[in-house]
Order: sequence, then C-alpha cells, then structure tokens
Amino acid sequence: MNQHLLIKICFRQSRSHPLRTLLLIIGIAMGVAGVIAIDIAKTSVSKSFDLSTAAITSETTHQVVGSNFNIPQSVFTDLRTRLGIHRSAPVISTHITVMELKNATLTLMGIDPFSEMGLRNLTVRSRSGTTGKDLSGLLTHASGVLLSQAMASQYGLNQNDTITLSFGDRQVQTVISGFLDSRDGATNAIFQGLILADISLAQEILGMGDDITRIDLILTDAAMAEQIVKRLPDGVILVETRRQNRIVRELSRSFETSLTAFSMLALFMGIFLIYNTVSFSITQRRKLNGTLRALGATRKTLFWTVLAEVMIYALVGSASGILLGILLGKGAVHAVCSTVSDMYFVLTVSQTHITVPTLLKGFFAGIFSCFAASVFPAITAARTLPITLMQRSASESALKKYLPLFTLTGMVIIGAAVFMLNFFTRQPGVDFIGVFMIFFGSALLAPMVILLFVRGLLALFKKSWGSMTKMALRNITRSLSRTSVLIASLMVATSVYIGIDIMTSSFRCSVIDWVDSHIGGDIHVSSSDTLKRGLSPRLVADIQALPEVAGISVYNIHRIFSRTSGEVHIFSYITDLSTKKWSWTAADETQLTALLDQGWIFVSEIFAQRNRIEAKMGASVIIDTQTGPVSFRIAGIFRDFFMGGGRVIVNRKLMKQYWGYDDITSLQVFLHTPKTVAPVIERINAFVPESANVKVVSGATIKKGILDVFDKTFLITSALQILTAIVALTGILNSVMALLLERTRELGILRACGAETGQVGRLLLLECGFSGFISGVMALPLGGCLAWVLIDIVNRRSFGWTYDMVTSPKIFLGAVTLSSAAAIVAGIFPAVRAGRTDIGSALHME
Amino acid sequence: MDILLSHISKTYDDNKNKRVVFRDMTAKFTSGLFCVIIGKSGVGKSSLLNLISGIDIPDKGIIQIGDAGVSDMTDTQRTIFRRKHIGFIYQFFNLIPVLTVLENVTLICELDGLSKKRYLDRANSFLKQVGLFDRRNDYPDTLSGGEQQRVAIVRSLVNDPDILLADEPTGNLDVKTGRAILEMISDLAKKNGKTLIMATHSLEAIDYADAVLSVVNQTLVPLSKEQIHP
Repeated sequence: MNQHLLIKICFRQSRSHPLRTLLLIIGIAMGVAGVIAIDIAKTSVSKSFDLSTAAITSETTHQVVGSNFNIPQSVFTDLRTRLGIHRSAPVISTHITVMELKNATLTLMGIDPFSEMGLRNLTVRSRSGTTGKDLSGLLTHASGVLLSQAMASQYGLNQNDTITLSFGDRQVQTVISGFLDSRDGATNAIFQGLILADISLAQEILGMGDDITRIDLILTDAAMAEQIVKRLPDGVILVETRRQNRIVRELSRSFETSLTAFSMLALFMGIFLIYNTVSFSITQRRKLNGTLRALGATRKTLFWTVLAEVMIYALVGSASGILLGILLGKGAVHAVCSTVSDMYFVLTVSQTHITVPTLLKGFFAGIFSCFAASVFPAITAARTLPITLMQRSASESALKKYLPLFTLTGMVIIGAAVFMLNFFTRQPGVDFIGVFMIFFGSALLAPMVILLFVRGLLALFKKSWGSMTKMALRNITRSLSRTSVLIASLMVATSVYIGIDIMTSSFRCSVIDWVDSHIGGDIHVSSSDTLKRGLSPRLVADIQALPEVAGISVYNIHRIFSRTSGEVHIFSYITDLSTKKWSWTAADETQLTALLDQGWIFVSEIFAQRNRIEAKMGASVIIDTQTGPVSFRIAGIFRDFFMGGGRVIVNRKLMKQYWGYDDITSLQVFLHTPKTVAPVIERINAFVPESANVKVVSGATIKKGILDVFDKTFLITSALQILTAIVALTGILNSVMALLLERTRELGILRACGAETGQVGRLLLLECGFSGFISGVMALPLGGCLAWVLIDIVNRRSFGWTYDMVTSPKIFLGAVTLSSAAAIVAGIFPAVRAGRTDIGSALHME
Repeated sequence: MDILLSHISKTYDDNKNKRVVFRDMTAKFTSGLFCVIIGKSGVGKSSLLNLISGIDIPDKGIIQIGDAGVSDMTDTQRTIFRRKHIGFIYQFFNLIPVLTVLENVTLICELDGLSKKRYLDRANSFLKQVGLFDRRNDYPDTLSGGEQQRVAIVRSLVNDPDILLADEPTGNLDVKTGRAILEMISDLAKKNGKTLIMATHSLEAIDYADAVLSVVNQTLVPLSKEQIHP
C-alpha cells in the first residue's frame, strides 16, 4: 500500500481534530522549552562567570594575595626590584555601584598604567576613533576613570561626564576620561563589567592607604614561583590564578547541579506527558489502523506510517519548543545570575548565552521522547491482528493480562531504586537515576493501584452513590490502558509539585529557624563603613545600659582568604546569646564553649563541605593566617545557610593572634519585649555621632532581607512548578479530549435517555475529578520520596546544607486538591463539548 | 398523547451536499396506536423518530405532542420532555456498558431525580416480566443480543412514558429472537396504553401494527396492509 497515501490519511484524521493536534504540539514544545530554558540559564551563568573573572584576572598565571585580602604595596615593589619580575602589576579590585548606570554593580579595578603595559590587553578608544593600549587618560585627570564604550553608549554618557561611584556608604565623584573598547566582541563583553581607575585614585576612593588587593603575575617557570614564596611576608600567599578561579567557580556549581536536577525533572515529566499525548493520539487510531491492515497495509508500512506522523509533529513541537525555550531562558538568566550574585560571587557581566549544544539537547529531548512514546504503540499497531486492532476492548484485555507483570516489575524497580539510593548515593548521577527509577516503577504500578482504588471506592460507597457517579468511576477502569497513562502522568506532575513544595517549605522553615536562633536579636547594630568597621566600646556600653535591653551578643566578623574555599567569614564573640543547631560536635554541647576557649574552632556545614572535613573526633583544618597556615582542631560543625566559602568561629584571642582583629563590628540586641524595637532603635541612633556610619536595623528587617534572597533562589523552582502545571494541564486536556472522542456514542445514549447537557458535562467532570484525585493520592508517597531525595541527597551534596524535612497535611491536602482541580479545569472544555454531543450521529456510530 | 407533525421540512447539510429528508410533511399519530414506518434505508425513518423525540429539530414546521409544542422548546426543555414522556428502543440496544442491568434500567429515573423507592419496584417488576430479574446485577456485555434488547425495552418503559419510539429494534437480532422482541414490545405497549411508533425494515412488524406509513418523496404516506402484502 502506498505509504504517502497512508500518511495523508493520518494527517486528514489529525486535521479533523485541530485542537488535539495543537495540544500535542504544545505539549512537546513545553517539554522542550523547559529543558532549553534551564540549560540556557546554566550556560549563561558559566559564561558570565568567565567574563566576570576574565575582566579581573586576564591572562595572569599567579596572584599574590593577603590572608585578609589586603597586602602592603611594598610587597609589589620588592618583587619588581629584587626579583626583577616585570610581568607583574598591583591591583585593587572591589565591587562598586554606579549611580548614573542605574546602580549597576561593576568591578572597580585600580591599576598602575605603566605596569599594565606588559600584562593586560586593555584597549582604549582614542578621540580619533582608533583603539590602542593608551591608558594615559587615567593619569591626565586626577579623578579620571575608564568605562566600557558599550556601557556608556547604553546610558548616554560622554567623555568628561561625571559619574558617582558608591562603595558602602562612600560616594565619590569621578570623571570619564576615556572608553574601553575593542574590535573583539568577547573583549568588549569583558569590558562591560569593568571600571578602571589609577591605583592611587582607587586607594583614595576605598580608603586603603598604601595597601593593595593583590599582585597579578605572569610566571613562566616554577622556580620563579618558589623564589616569590620565599620572599613573601607572613600572611601573604602566592596562588595559581586558574586554580583559584576554579575554586570560586565551584561555589556556584552546587546551585547549578540543583538546576540540573530540576531540568532533569522537567525533562522526565516532559517525556512522560509527551508519551501520554502521543500514545493517546495513536491508540485512538486503532480502528483506522485495523481497517488499513485489513485492506492490505503491511506491518512495516503501518509501523513507519505511525512513526512518520508522530515524528513530523515532534519536529514542529521541538522547533517551537526551541523558540519558546529561548524566550523563557532569557527570563531565567536574569533570575539565576541574580541568585548567583547574591549568594556566591558578584557577576558583573550578565549575558544570555545560547549555545548550539543547548538547542540540540532540547531538540533531541523532544524527538527522543516522541520516538519513545510512539515506538511501542507503533509496534503494537503493526504486530496486532487487524480484527484485534478494530476492537477497542482488545487493548484493555491485553493490559489486564499483563497487569500482574507490570505490577511486579514496578515493585522490583522501586525496590532496586531504594537500594541504590541508600547505598550508592556518593556516586554522581546515581540519585537522579534512582529518582527516575522510582518514577518509572510507580508508573508501572499505576494501573493496578487505580484498579484497586476504584474497586475499593465502589465497594465502600456502593449504596450511597448514584449511577452517574459509579459510571464515572467505572469508566476509569474500563479504559485502563488510556486512563492509567493519564493518571500516571498527572501523578508524576503532582509529585514533582509536592517534592518541590516540601523542599522549599522545609528549607524556608529551617532558614527561619536559623535566622531566629543563630542570627537572632531584635535589633542589629553594625558599621556601614566598609573600611572602618569597628564600633566604639562606648556605644556598646550605652546600648547595654538601656532598660529595655535584656542582653547583647557582641562580636566581630571579617573576611579572610582561603585557598580551599575562596572568601571565608571569620567570627569571634565577646558575648554570644545566639543558639546554634549543631550537625556534629566533638563533645557534649555544654563543653563547646570551653573547647572554643582552648583554641578549637567551630565551622559551618558549607565550610566543612568545601574543605572535605569529616565529622569525626580529631577533625582539623588548615587555615591561612597572617602568620602563615595554621591547623585548627574542630569542636563542632553548625548549620548555616550563608553561602560563599562558609563561616568559621574562633575565640577572641585567636582572632587577634592570627588575623590581627580585636574590634567589635556587630551587635545583636535582645529586648525584654519586642514591642519596643522602634523606640529603642531611635535611642540607639541618638547615641551614634552622625559621622560614625553605624547601621541600626531591626531583626525583622534582617530576617526579611535574608528570606528575600532565599526566596529568589527558589524563583527558578517556582517557575518550574508553573511549567509543570502548564504541561500537565495540556497533557490532561489532550487526553480527556481523546477519551471524549471514544465516548461519543455513550454520551449520545445518555443524552437520548434524557440526560441534560449539564448532567453529561458533570459526568465528564466527575470522571476527571476522580482521575485527578487518584493521581493526587498516588502522588503523595512519590512526592514525599522526591522531597527526601532533593533534601537529603541533592541539597546536601550540592550545597552542603542539611535541613529537616517538614511535611504538613496542608501540603498533601493542597496537592490532592491541586491535582483534582487541575483535572477538573482541564475537563471543563471537553465537558462543555460533551454536553453538546449530537445525539443523532452519536447513536448511529458503530 | 396525540402526535401532530405539521408542515415539517428537514434538510441535512453533509459536506456541501444538501439532502432534503422531509418537505412540507404533515402527519398525525393517534394516542395508544402502534404505527410502523417502513421505507428504504436513508429515506428518513430514523430522522422522523429523532424529530418526534426532540433529539433533532425541524427546519420548518411544528411538532405538537399532546399540548406541548416540542419544536418550540429549548434543548433543555426538549431533554426533560423526552425524559418524562418518551421511551426509546434502538437497533444496537445502546446500553451503557459500565452500568449493570438494573442501573441501566433505572438510569433515566435517576436522571429525572426520582426517589429510588418510586422506581425500583417498577424496574424490578418489568425485569421479572421480561425474565431478566436474576440478571439485574450483571453487566450488558455478559448478555445475549436478545437479552440486551429486553433490557432496553424495560429501560424505555420504566419511567412510564406516553410514547415509545423504536428504531429497527429487531435489526440486530436473529429471526426468532426478533419475533419474540416484537411481540414483547407490542404487548407491553398495548398493556400499558402507550403510543408506539416503530421504524423498521421488518415486514413482520406490520402484523402487529394498527397503522403503516411509508416515507415517500420526502413525506409520510399511509399504506394499507394490502398495499404491502398484495
């Protein structure tokens, strides 16, 4: 039989149901779009990081840094004059905001124009329009800075315009003395995150005196590196640039790993729903295929016809998905880059980076899932006897025959997955495979569970339910081969929703608990001056003397450099009223303070993870100090949600001895009654001289700020939840429309018997509602399991966070309601159509 | 209830081809009589039953059943009218496969919101009359064709309608079973005082009928038994 003719028949069949064909394409497109959007977000973070770091480090091979991020400029002079290293340059680097650029964050780089000549390729556009390495503009103006040409054009800034740089509370007026520009687009992208100033101007802006942030070097032999190390004073370290960049980059890898987990979930759900849509589309053609076989179409011809048709829709759906994915991806890049900047490192360049592999990944995900979805029904259509194909009941009998096998296989797969997740989680990827297996196993269990569930419900409510309700339930089991796929799809979508909901709500609970106990305090007092961070002891005494004050936590906190974790925050307390949640302690909690006094330290979970600290007696870690690397014994690992390199608590004596700080930088004020927060803030502000730059904020404001940052982290997961809901709704709508087509005659009978349009519509909605309810109930254990994997495995491994899984009946009740409501909403349109069934033609269908 | 069809016209639009089924057709079916409609396939026998039952509406003309103007009713009004006053028997039985025999029979009463007490005894009594009481909890697919049609007959009578419409009720049955079903429909209709209109190819039905009509040239023409059995 002519294959073209067969394909034509199939397309004409699709053309007679344009809405369903459209839904099929939308289903495929949404699945593909989810994969592409998340992948674009991930690759864009990577690219933005590369551009941001390239702006700072360029081609340097090594850097000399201080253990507290500052080194005397004399170290540079010494290296140049004594060792004769000419390919070296002093650098001051920090993040500032520029008011005229709508407060965009840029990297202010203070450089020595002469030293830079042999080091970085900083090209400047001259007045004549040519570009060259002329940095003289930095020297001719006392407060001259160089800005990216593209950035200046974007904000309408010209040469000699004044721009305001903000650093902490400081605001400094500078003049644009030239523009950074290059013929190379990639270099221009790097320049976009940069603002250049002469090193002396940068020192003045930041109040750094004679200190610099680091020295950049291009070294060609290891011997020179050794000589440098020998000459460096205590507390100054030589590090490899590439290795250091890699460490900083690793910080956000965890976040990206979790994004991968979510993109895999989106992909899996997409595959499932595409399978659902496609298999529905094929199975409803059983009769047509049977007729074609009876008329002489060979098995092979029929197989390829079925496959060819689906593949054409797959192509259209995947292509549309790519376009949609790019649009969604552009939105996601902003959210993801903003989260990375908030939590890990500042991305001064934020670009949407769309790569061919990303698009191919999404495209093939769509094609593969459509192929996977259509191959089995295509084989079935090709292998089954024509007469069997023409009988709808045959597919149901086949499913019922294999039901015990499906159930057993499902149970074995779930068992194997649980075993894997319990014993092999350290191996990368095992957790995702485990989750996939649990989903797959549950999908195989679905037909049996549906059957038992419906039978149970019917037995329970045999007497109280009317015929229409029974009809709705029995219809579900009657078309088990279709409804089980629909219910399993909805179950997967609902369980993803539950899993993410439990994860985010558990995480939020833990963060709130952490903010309340660990950070605590009704009022927070700290210096807003980034350089002079010390608070006066007089202020502390004045606050303590206030009658409303019940107590104060007094401490200092400073940034230190760590070779293994990048930037680490180190604390030392004078008094500590906060309570910590310990994930491990070397001794009884009551003895921890004594251990701290003896020189042991406390580290955060993230620091422990980054430094691969094993929670066991005798654990220790080497930290760079001003006197060189020192090994510290660890007394406890505490739960902490600050990202970056993690946090360390030492006693005051060690802080002074190893890092030179004995100041007070922060206070947490605890009041007798929280009602007095506002008046006490006023009174504290009255103690502070106007020039002192002290920030006094309520604990509630701090808490809100922290929660805002964490909520933003989960913005992408919330977007995924919405995507899940849309894909699920599309899938259900398509499936219900297909079921409706099969039931036309039955609905015609009902209408002929006197059922009103509303009664017929209600029957269909009832069926949808029951399907949604069963999906929701089946999704409960699966969603709980997914939440456990996300919390206990993905988050712990990726972020180093541990937090308790908090479940509430509200989440589960909400999920069941949501899945029932989603199914009912998806059923509204088919229900309206069902009510309008043409009785005459429906009754004469056979 | 008398059924009056006055100047009925009905045209079907099948993919640009217009098919006129009735043109200015007028007919009257007297209450309590058994009328048989005969004619070739596609002349409009089923369409006539659909028009009487309100399943379909005429393009022109009036359909009056008793005092009710069916052709002027809204869809919902026609549905409710059908539920209360008309019973339908089909060639393919048209039972709901997921409902048991008893549930199929009582479905219309349930749709009408009647209380179980009111219709259950009646349903069981009819099932006993047709010999299917013992099968009341079985599903239709376990019954033979004749048994399924008997269930359909009971379903059409259980809500005590005034009119019974039967569309080829024996068309899907063997001769012997078909005859038994014809007898049963005719007996039950007469015993319960129903107006019975049957569209059929079966000439055997004519023996039971009070009047015979044929659809000729888009209108209903009465035939004498002699004209059919010359």
